Amino acid sequence: MFAIEVINLRKTYGKVVAVDDVSFKVKKGEIFGFLGVNGAGKTTTINMITGLLQKDSGTIKILNHDPEEAWEYVKNRINVSTAYYPLSDALTIRQNLRIYAKIYGVKNVEQKIMSLMQQFELSHLADRKVADLSSGERTRTALCKGLINDPEVLFLDECTVGLDPDIAEKTRRIIKNYQQKSGCTILFTSHYMYEVEELCDRIAFMDKGKIIKIATADKLKKAIKKHTIEITVKSRAEELKNFLMLEQMNILLAEDNTIIFEVTCERDKIYKILNKIFTKGFLLSDLHIKKPTLDDIFIKIARGRK
Amino acid sequence: MKWHRILALMLKYWYITIARADRLFDVFYWPMIDLVVWGFASKFITELSEVNLLSVLLGAVILWTFLWRASQDMSVYVLEDFWSRNLYHLFSSPIKVSEHIIAIILFGLGRSLVTFVFLAILAFALYAFNIFSIPLFFLIIAIFLLSLLGWILGLVITGLIFRFGQRIQVLAWSVVWILQPFSCVFYPLSALPPWAAAIARVTPSTYVFENLRNILAQRPLDYGGLGYALIVEVIFLLLASWYLKKSFDAAKKSGLLATGN
Repeated sequence: MFAIEVINLRKTYGKVVAVDDVSFKVKKGEIFGFLGVNGAGKTTTINMITGLLQKDSGTIKILNHDPEEAWEYVKNRINVSTAYYPLSDALTIRQNLRIYAKIYGVKNVEQKIMSLMQQFELSHLADRKVADLSSGERTRTALCKGLINDPEVLFLDECTVGLDPDIAEKTRRIIKNYQQKSGCTILFTSHYMYEVEELCDRIAFMDKGKIIKIATADKLKKAIKKHTIEITVKSRAEELKNFLMLEQMNILLAEDNTIIFEVTCERDKIYKILNKIFTKGFLLSDLHIKKPTLDDIFIKIARGRK
Repeated sequence: MKWHRILALMLKYWYITIARADRLFDVFYWPMIDLVVWGFASKFITELSEVNLLSVLLGAVILWTFLWRASQDMSVYVLEDFWSRNLYHLFSSPIKVSEHIIAIILFGLGRSLVTFVFLAILAFALYAFNIFSIPLFFLIIAIFLLSLLGWILGLVITGLIFRFGQRIQVLAWSVVWILQPFSCVFYPLSALPPWAAAIARVTPSTYVFENLRNILAQRPLDYGGLGYALIVEVIFLLLASWYLKKSFDAAKKSGLLATGN
C-alpha cells in the first residue's frame, strides 16, 4: 500500500512551468528523499500535496484518500516542518506547541509538549519567545510542531537547515527512531546529500520541475562509473603524471607532488593501476580513494540535462 | 467545523494580545483617548449651548468602538499571521478558513466588550454619564449591527489581503475611518450636504447613530431604519463571505498562502 501517490502533477505560474507532469509513489513506512537545486520544484510539489497550493492538474492521494475530498481525514494525519517558516515569533515555544496540539486535538497536551521538548533538547527554553531563539533552536521547535500529532505522513522540507553538526545528527537520529517506532512515512527534502543518503530508502531527483530519476542511493551511485584517486608521492611526480597519461587515466589535477586522477569504478582496474604504480617503485606519502557520492550523481544528472 | 480548533486559535490570539503591548493599546489606550477628547469637548460645548451634547457624543464614542474594533481586529489578526509567516503552518493543519475567521470574530468581540466596560466605567467616573441609561435592548441591537458591519468590512479587507498580499495592509487601519463621516456618528444626517447625505442614507451604521440620538432626545425609534440596516448587512455579509472564499482560493492558486508574500 502507498502512503503518497502522485500522478501527472502539474503547476504553472503564467508561462513558467514549476512542476511538470510529476509522478511518484511512496510506500507506507518509507523515507522518501526529494533532491534538487533551488527552484527544481520540490517545495512546490510538497505544497500541492499538503494542500497549501492549488494544482493545475494531476492526481494526489494520501493514505489512499484524495485530500481535496477527504480533507479533514488527511490533514489530521499529516504534518509539515520546515526551517523556512518558523512558528509565531511573538509566542514562546510552549505556547506555540500548545496551540498546535489543540488544533490537532492531541490528548495529554502538556505531557506531549514536554516529551517533544525533551527529545529535541528544548526543555530549558520552553518559555522563551521564538523571536529570541537561535536559528537552530527555531528549526528544532518547528520539528516539535511537525511531530505534535504523531503524523502518519510527515513532510520535512529542508528541516535541518541551520543546525550545528551535533544537533543535526541527533535530529536525524530522532527522525529515524520516530519513523521506526511509528511506521510513519516521511517525504524528506534536503540540500545535504549525506543526510538524504543516511535517512532515505529511495531518492527522487528533481530538476526544472521534472523528476529525472528515482532509485535507492546505492543504485544511483552505481550510475557513476568513476572513482577519484589522490596520490601524493615523495618524489618523481612529473614521471608519475606521464606514466598515468600513458595508461590513459584522466588527470584532474597535478600540483607539486600531488596528482588527482579518475579511474573507472571496477575493483580490478583500481587494483591494477595501484599495483603498477607500486611496481614502478613510486614511493607514496599519501593515498585517498574517493567513491562517488550523491553530490557527484546530482551534479552529473543536473549538468547532463543542460 | 470543530470547536477545539476555534478555541485553539482564540488561545493563540490571546497569547499574541498579552505578549504585545500595541494590542493592549487597541483595547484601552486609543478608546480612552477618544472618550477623553470628545468628553471634554462636548462638556465645553454643552456649557455654551442649551443642548446637552455630552450623552449624545459619549454614547456615540462608546458604540463606535464596536464597529472600529470589529473591522480592525479581523484584518490585523490575519495580517499578524502574514507578518509571522504563519499561514504555512495554519493552513497545512486541519484549520478551515471559516474556523480562522470565527475565532477572530469571537476573540475580537471579547476584546470589544472589555473596551466597552472600560469606557462605560471611565465615562461614568469622568462625566457622570451612564451608558446603561440607554435601554438595554437598543444597546444590544446597536452593538450587533455595528459589530456585524465591522466584521463585513474585516471580511472584505481580509479577502483583499489574501488576493493582493500585505501591500494593501494600510486598508486594515483606514477603511473604517472612511466610513465614519457617512455614518453620522457625531452629528445628525440633516447636518450633511446633499451628496454626503445620499451616501449616509445607504450606510447601515447611520441608522444606529440616528436612533441613538432619537433615544437620548426621547424621540420614537425609527424601526424601519434599523430593519433596513439589518437586511443590508445580511446581504453584505453573504457577499463578503463569498468574496473571501474566492480570494482564499486565489491565494491557494497564486502560492500566497504557502509563501505569505
